[in-house]
Amino acid sequence: MGGEATDFLYPFIEGNETGVDALLEDLAGSALAKAAESAALRRATVAACEPLIATAAAELARRFDAGGRMFTFGNGGSATDAATLAGLFARPPVGEPLPAWSLAAEQAVLTALGNDVGFELVFARQLIARGRPGDIAVAMSTSGSSADLLAALAEARRRGMYTVGFAGYDGGRFADNPDVDVCFTVESQSVHRIQETQALLGYRLWAAVHANRRPEGARA
Amino acid sequence: MTATVPAVSETLAADLARASFTLAQRFSAGATLWCVAPAFPQHAEHIAVEFVHPVIVGKRALPAAALTGPDLVGQVRVSARAGDVLVAVADAADAEVGSIMRRARAWGVTTLWLGHGPRPEPGAADHVLWLEDTDPLLPATGQFVLLYHLLWELTHVCFEHPGLLAAHADECTADVCITCSDEGRPAEVIGTGADGTATVRTPDGTETILTTLTGPLRPGDLVLVHAGLAIATVEA
Repeated sequence: MGGEATDFLYPFIEGNETGVDALLEDLAGSALAKAAESAALRRATVAACEPLIATAAAELARRFDAGGRMFTFGNGGSATDAATLAGLFARPPVGEPLPAWSLAAEQAVLTALGNDVGFELVFARQLIARGRPGDIAVAMSTSGSSADLLAALAEARRRGMYTVGFAGYDGGRFADNPDVDVCFTVESQSVHRIQETQALLGYRLWAAVHANRRPEGARA
Repeated sequence: MTATVPAVSETLAADLARASFTLAQRFSAGATLWCVAPAFPQHAEHIAVEFVHPVIVGKRALPAAALTGPDLVGQVRVSARAGDVLVAVADAADAEVGSIMRRARAWGVTTLWLGHGPRPEPGAADHVLWLEDTDPLLPATGQFVLLYHLLWELTHVCFEHPGLLAAHADECTADVCITCSDEGRPAEVIGTGADGTATVRTPDGTETILTTLTGPLRPGDLVLVHAGLAIATVEA
């Protein structure tokens, strides 16, 4: 950009080609820096969570072997990430499909519960109807403190389900919570970088579950 | 390790920069962003919520919507207006998205195509945001999420430079303007008459054209129009 002292006299100068080129260069540099930051956070978090992934995968595999099912849920972008995870388990491009659903997928159920009993119970009420003791509940959140997810995790705990939480920042209320069996915390202050890393953790969990499954003839 | 190496090359970063700048220009001119992802509808929904309900307080809410379910061609056709933007998350081989991309020229819709593996053919979309990794599991590893997060973040950086977002991109500066030259303009047939005419949709609106050169047409056909005449049909 020009930056001449007299630029203010010529506001149209902002719209010139040089300005656009400089902006595009800034944007590309910013994209590279953010992508590198995301990759570094993924590396560090996956390394830190490796033991937790192993613990959770062993229990999930045991439950799937015994006929357990998975329910995933979250709000906003995390709802779609939870749907991606459920889709990975239920319709994997490779490997055996396992029963898994996103609880945000059904507009009739979601709006009926939100309208009739309040948004805080949109996921908990679905688990009351569908959840069984051998099942698995997966809550995805960046704050780790969403009221509807905490209510669902508490309901899942009451019903004997295994509970997995994904959180960001310092883990929020998912951390050290008796209703959460395993909490994966992505230690970042950026909602976007947290979600990108949670997706990778979910993928690693899926891969580890399949590595832990027993041969078909040896299942309960 | 899958998906932990930086996935964004310098080329992709430059592509993201240009796509974000175009998107910001379009939004400034009143565009809506339409999002489709036939095989991964959750990605279309995630993109829409980023723009409609930003995670960073104080960033403006922008018009975006995911279209999911059957007949995405028909859904985009009835939803998008000239000047709007369409983003698709799909493999290059996705026939439905390919059809939408070709029709978008007749609708006057700017297109972004985000995916991985073999690239779409050159010119298939206005902006191609592509990861070379062919791993079929990539869509579930957060790499697509990273790309559309960057798209959102860079688009909002552009809004800090309103002087650069003015309509320069729309000005016709070439020596020969495509609208006035011998080149055909893309159009989609929306109706046909018994008198050898057809009604078509173009970026400028609805027109009645002669089909003498092409022969009978059907609704949904894509044609090139010059001087009120359909001069060729193209793959739809």
